[in-house]
Amino acid sequence: MLPSGAVWTAALVFTPLLAALACFLAPRAANWIGLLAAGLTTLAAATMVPTLMTDGPLRIAVGGWGAPLGIDLYADGLSAVLLLMTAVVGLGVSAFAPAYFGAHPQQRPWFWPLWLILWAALNGLYLSADLFNLYVMLELLGLSAAALTALSGGGPALNAAMRYLLVSLLGSAAYLLGVALLYHAHATVDIALLGARIEPGMLANAALAVMFAGLMLKTALFPFHFWLPPAHAGAPAPVSALLSALVIKGSFYLLLRLWLDLFGDLSRLLPELIGVLGAIAVLWGALQALQQQRLKLMIAYSTVAQVGYLFLAFPLAGGLNGTTAWRAVVYLALAHGLAKAAMFLSAGALLRFAHHDRIADLDRAVHRLPLTLTAFVLAGVSIMGLPPSGGFVGKWLLLEAAFQQDRWGLAVVVLLGGVLAAAYVFKVVGYAFTPTAIAQEGGSVPLSMQWSALLLALGAILLGFAAPLLLPLLEVGAPFEPIVGMPS
Amino acid sequence: MAWLTGLPLAVDLVLGATLLWLAWRALSSPDLFQAVALFIAFGVILGLVWARLDAIDIALAEIPLGAGVTGALLLAALSQLQPAEVDARAAPSATEANEHQAGQPGQTAETADADEAQHKPAVFRALLAAVMGLLLFAALFSLGLVTWQLWEPSSGLTQQVNTHLPESGVEHPVTAVLLNFRGYDTLLEIAVLLLALIGVWSLATASNLGDTTPEPVLAALSRLLAPLMILVAAYLVWVGAHAPGGAFQAGSVLGAAGVLLRLSGWRLPAGAAGWPLRLVLALGVAVFAFIGLAVIGLGEPLLGYPTAWAKHAILVIELAATLSIGAILASLFIGGRP
Repeated sequence: MLPSGAVWTAALVFTPLLAALACFLAPRAANWIGLLAAGLTTLAAATMVPTLMTDGPLRIAVGGWGAPLGIDLYADGLSAVLLLMTAVVGLGVSAFAPAYFGAHPQQRPWFWPLWLILWAALNGLYLSADLFNLYVMLELLGLSAAALTALSGGGPALNAAMRYLLVSLLGSAAYLLGVALLYHAHATVDIALLGARIEPGMLANAALAVMFAGLMLKTALFPFHFWLPPAHAGAPAPVSALLSALVIKGSFYLLLRLWLDLFGDLSRLLPELIGVLGAIAVLWGALQALQQQRLKLMIAYSTVAQVGYLFLAFPLAGGLNGTTAWRAVVYLALAHGLAKAAMFLSAGALLRFAHHDRIADLDRAVHRLPLTLTAFVLAGVSIMGLPPSGGFVGKWLLLEAAFQQDRWGLAVVVLLGGVLAAAYVFKVVGYAFTPTAIAQEGGSVPLSMQWSALLLALGAILLGFAAPLLLPLLEVGAPFEPIVGMPS
Repeated sequence: MAWLTGLPLAVDLVLGATLLWLAWRALSSPDLFQAVALFIAFGVILGLVWARLDAIDIALAEIPLGAGVTGALLLAALSQLQPAEVDARAAPSATEANEHQAGQPGQTAETADADEAQHKPAVFRALLAAVMGLLLFAALFSLGLVTWQLWEPSSGLTQQVNTHLPESGVEHPVTAVLLNFRGYDTLLEIAVLLLALIGVWSLATASNLGDTTPEPVLAALSRLLAPLMILVAAYLVWVGAHAPGGAFQAGSVLGAAGVLLRLSGWRLPAGAAGWPLRLVLALGVAVFAFIGLAVIGLGEPLLGYPTAWAKHAILVIELAATLSIGAILASLFIGGRP
């Protein structure tokens, strides 16, 4: 008899995948099928938690073959927290989508299958222990994300989507080249087996270089971020939320896994370099965000900055108490997922209300859309890293690691990034209180759009209180400790 | 007969040189149509190279997919691109004005970037290009160096695959890997194809590609060829169990038959273009996933068909996948939702 964990793991990938097929076959019922699938997938993700907490990490041999011949699935604490975050954001965006696409009926039948396939790909990515299978997931993820970006149509969105597609394919191809090198040398694509077999040398360095270059391109780390702002700002609001909150986390997770399980001991120089790029991204992205005139572009540049934070852990990981730095950035990734989804969804609600997203013309939006502005501000609190939000916990842990290692430069970057984030969030809030010379007429905004944004923002705040629950879950399978010996 | 011993080497050298030359010409050709034609030739030669490397399965996939279907797709894209190019050349100012008026979010970043690029002095841009070029060259050079050290062949997982071949339900190792040992990947690859089609359909409705009455030669040829191609596809699925062949190769032949029929003026009946077509398109993923999940009910792991009926399960999956792949490729060629 199988452990029920295996069934739930299969459900995490196959529920959204089959629901996508159903939406494709019955476009008129897409809203209901999509919402049902979102609920079931979230349930499956939630069921993983007690299983992992009691039984430890889960390893499943698909087809019963086992690595290296077959494909293994693997779920530990790191996979579980990201699966949960994806489920929560996915549920929020799914609740937002029917009302949003009510005004864009020609986009709705395509949004659902593409988004559900994207969800299946993300879940599959977090569950896979096989480098080639991860490549297939990256392909599913990149293609569906690019198609979703193009959904709003029009020249700029199509341009941004095309550029996004090319960047995504280039990143995948570079990653695949690394997989080919590793397979040739070690006759397996299973991460755990490779971790035991890999040895320092020219080939491992080459694989590290191409795989990291490809994945950093996909994660939009400075200076590879050029494609992100037009793509994330040009997409329909629920898609922007998915791209910024979820898609980028997928490639970041893969980078993290590769570093932790394969490449961590190879280079002393690379983590410092990545840290510098991350620090530049934090400051430069925030400065760019501050200068934007349009709300969605501002939020997109804020993503560039927040991605930078995720890479600050690399230079800290090798030092004293380095695992704290990993915990910190994973927490930041979770908080950013919830908060950034909430921000883009509130931008979508504002856009529906005023038919534009010029920050300077928000015209007392706070009086007319109090729920949406509350969502924006609460999400902003987490992005800034103020207590008691999830962003605060992440930054606190990051600062703790930086102080313990006397890395004052990194600590200053963390704090300065927070101050700049506060500046751009309050700029929006300020305009939302200010009346413009010509008063604007606003349309009505469905409550489901406003509440889904608000609940996600509340989630980002509550994440700060959830640390005592989530941090032990994150430790299941000790993802941040070096692998000792072979997996059973 | 001593001169015969040198023959394989000579063939390989000619193939390799032709491949490089075609690649260079395809990349450097200023004429897009010529570039596509060269790319198709490149795909055919690459297929021969795979055959010379004893990778018959890859050769069988490379020629119909890499040269045939990709070439057809590129030509179809080209035929839709050219009127747009002419329009753009005729009225550049009008399109520019339109772009500036369209107050889409995302617009500002791009125009700002373009302005910035224009303000930068030419020297700075040349310097940047030189630095990027050098970095790229260094990266490619070191990659080449690493690849050079890999010349010793590696057996990979061949041993393992052969050991477990009897349990897989098929006798051909490539089919065993694709449909059984790593069936999960293949299931998702078919989903990638379907996803590509959904992406294309989300963008546009089908254009009137090849709508004119076909030339009599084309019509006669397609009447002759299409049934033959369907037969070849069926053979390729069947033979995949014990020799090179399988769903992807068969699907691409089926897709090519669809392209040919479309070009010779055949249309899907209006009643079939709705959900029946969608059902065929989704069939591959659906059947694969259904069988893969159904075995869980029998106490097997996900996608773990019991050895006793693995052969039948694989055949059913391959048949469904062939139909879907063929339909997807033909629909991709048509290029928009019906």
